[in-house]
Amino acid sequence: MTAARLPLPTVLLSAGLLLSVLCLASLLLGAGDVGIGPSLAALFGGGDDDARFVVFELRGLRTELAVLVGVALGAGGLLLQAATRNPLAEPGLLGVSAGASFAVVVAISLGASAGTLSLAVAVLGAMVGCVLVLLVTQLRGVGDDPVRLVLAGAAFTGLLTALSSLLLLQDQRTADEVRFWVIGALAGRSPDTVSWSLPGLILGLLVVLPLVRPLAALTLGERVASGLGHHPQLTRLATLLAVALLVGTATAAAGPIGFVGLVVPFLARRLVGSDVRRGLGVAILLGPCVVLAADILSRLLVRPYELPVGVVTAFVGAPILIAVVRSHRLPSL
Amino acid sequence: MSQRRSLLRYSLLAISLLFSTLLHAAERTLEGAYGPVTLEGAPQRVVALGDNALDAALSLEVQPVGTLASRGGDDVPEYLAAKAGDIALVGTVREPNLEAILMLQPDLIIASTELPRALYDKLSLIAPTVVPEGSSFQDWRRIYRTYAQALGKPDLADRRIAEIDARVAELRQRLPDGQQVSVVRWNPQGPFVMSSQLFVGQLLDALGLKPNELATQTKRPHTDILSLENLAKADADWIFLATLNPDGEKALEAARQQPAFTRLGAVKNDRVVSVDGQIWSSSSGYLAAQQVLDDVEQALLD
Repeated sequence: MTAARLPLPTVLLSAGLLLSVLCLASLLLGAGDVGIGPSLAALFGGGDDDARFVVFELRGLRTELAVLVGVALGAGGLLLQAATRNPLAEPGLLGVSAGASFAVVVAISLGASAGTLSLAVAVLGAMVGCVLVLLVTQLRGVGDDPVRLVLAGAAFTGLLTALSSLLLLQDQRTADEVRFWVIGALAGRSPDTVSWSLPGLILGLLVVLPLVRPLAALTLGERVASGLGHHPQLTRLATLLAVALLVGTATAAAGPIGFVGLVVPFLARRLVGSDVRRGLGVAILLGPCVVLAADILSRLLVRPYELPVGVVTAFVGAPILIAVVRSHRLPSL
Repeated sequence: MSQRRSLLRYSLLAISLLFSTLLHAAERTLEGAYGPVTLEGAPQRVVALGDNALDAALSLEVQPVGTLASRGGDDVPEYLAAKAGDIALVGTVREPNLEAILMLQPDLIIASTELPRALYDKLSLIAPTVVPEGSSFQDWRRIYRTYAQALGKPDLADRRIAEIDARVAELRQRLPDGQQVSVVRWNPQGPFVMSSQLFVGQLLDALGLKPNELATQTKRPHTDILSLENLAKADADWIFLATLNPDGEKALEAARQQPAFTRLGAVKNDRVVSVDGQIWSSSSGYLAAQQVLDDVEQALLD
């Protein structure tokens, strides 16, 4: 266990500050013609009708979504890493996100319309993904090797992604609909997305609360944790349930967005060390920062068009994955 | 005796000369995208690869024996289904099935302008293959004429094109002046605008309808997915919403869920028309042209 590198209050405060700045930037910057000046004016009640619409409806909605998805993926990633004791465990890499989006795709092709139902289905799919992760970690020679676990996850993700594409193509969907369930995006989600996905996020975080202490004990090793009166297997199962809730919610809301669950815990560890309690607070603030930053980039890179945010997170996240794997000693959790 | 023999000789010579000129008339060389193609006689077993090739064949009274599933679908494009009747499917636009084509033993293959060279080389081993020169930006009438030559029906093609030209001229008279139209494909992340240089754009231009600005700028068949913030750039007096989904109303319903869409001028004025995307965004030809003109007439004049 590495020692804390920075005092927690300082980190939380600066992360909170960064989050506010990024939220503001997310309202002010976009692929359209409404620039910073008119956006500011609209924000303070002025501006024309179009500017107000762009700032409050379009950018406002995706900012809310980015925060929601960021909290879910940041916390989900950190928890998954703690539960598997693997610094590379990431919902997108281990097939949890792919499980969620595959489940939604199956539901769609069976005739379900998106919305509330897709949340439940996505959580269910994420759960199946989590159970598979759990089973793989029990395998000898795979579970205790971080890189092998990721490889197993990548194979699983590849399989599910291919199946999703296949189903959507069979169903005569347009390529862009296919793309949404393979690479997530924040743009163009219906306005009620936030209201139906918020309960999923809150429920997930509620499940996490009583788990923080046992999870912290788990990092000391199973025996010590048992000795302290915790139940390691139960803790793991409950944690994976929380991960499924969080990642399922994020995926139903914005499609699979990779690497956020890897980058955020990585940054959190760098800042406050590997303690779960400290890390979770930081991850909940940093998750939205990462998603917001990626989303802002996705709007500015190819104006007047946009990239799906999942493409941007992959661009930033993949090099970090390689850096973590290549660093000589993987931090043990 | 010798007189009779020479008479026979002369008449044989005359007959053979006559035959060879006839043959010569039926033998024709086309300039295809990958070089000249020489054809003889009227083809009996035609395989039409692509919606526009199928459109050309059917409108020229040729019943092809095989064709491809249309883009984004798994069958003959709907607007051609009745005319095509019971026709063998030999793959998709992306992946024609060479074995299935060989099984049909075609004597002519007509393909779309996008057919890659490698595929052309293989298809040419099965039967003479005609790939018109140019791209989907090419004047559709030129591509149509190339197919007609391949099928040995150049005169009928001229008549068909004259019919369209006459209908366009007539319709143009009745259409309101200076209307701008935008041809858009909708998807949940935002729409993309179809280029004005495609088949439909050519027809709309001939009708005196002005294209959307983005549609004239793009150098590809369509723009990228437009940011919802820029949706106003897809606006026009009329929006034709092309959808590959057979249920156009459903697609329109989906689009209306997006607040940015309902703010468009054309939507507010109830001037959004959902049209068959197989015709409006991927096909071309005589039958497609008639349908496009029907759609425009119905939308702007009724």
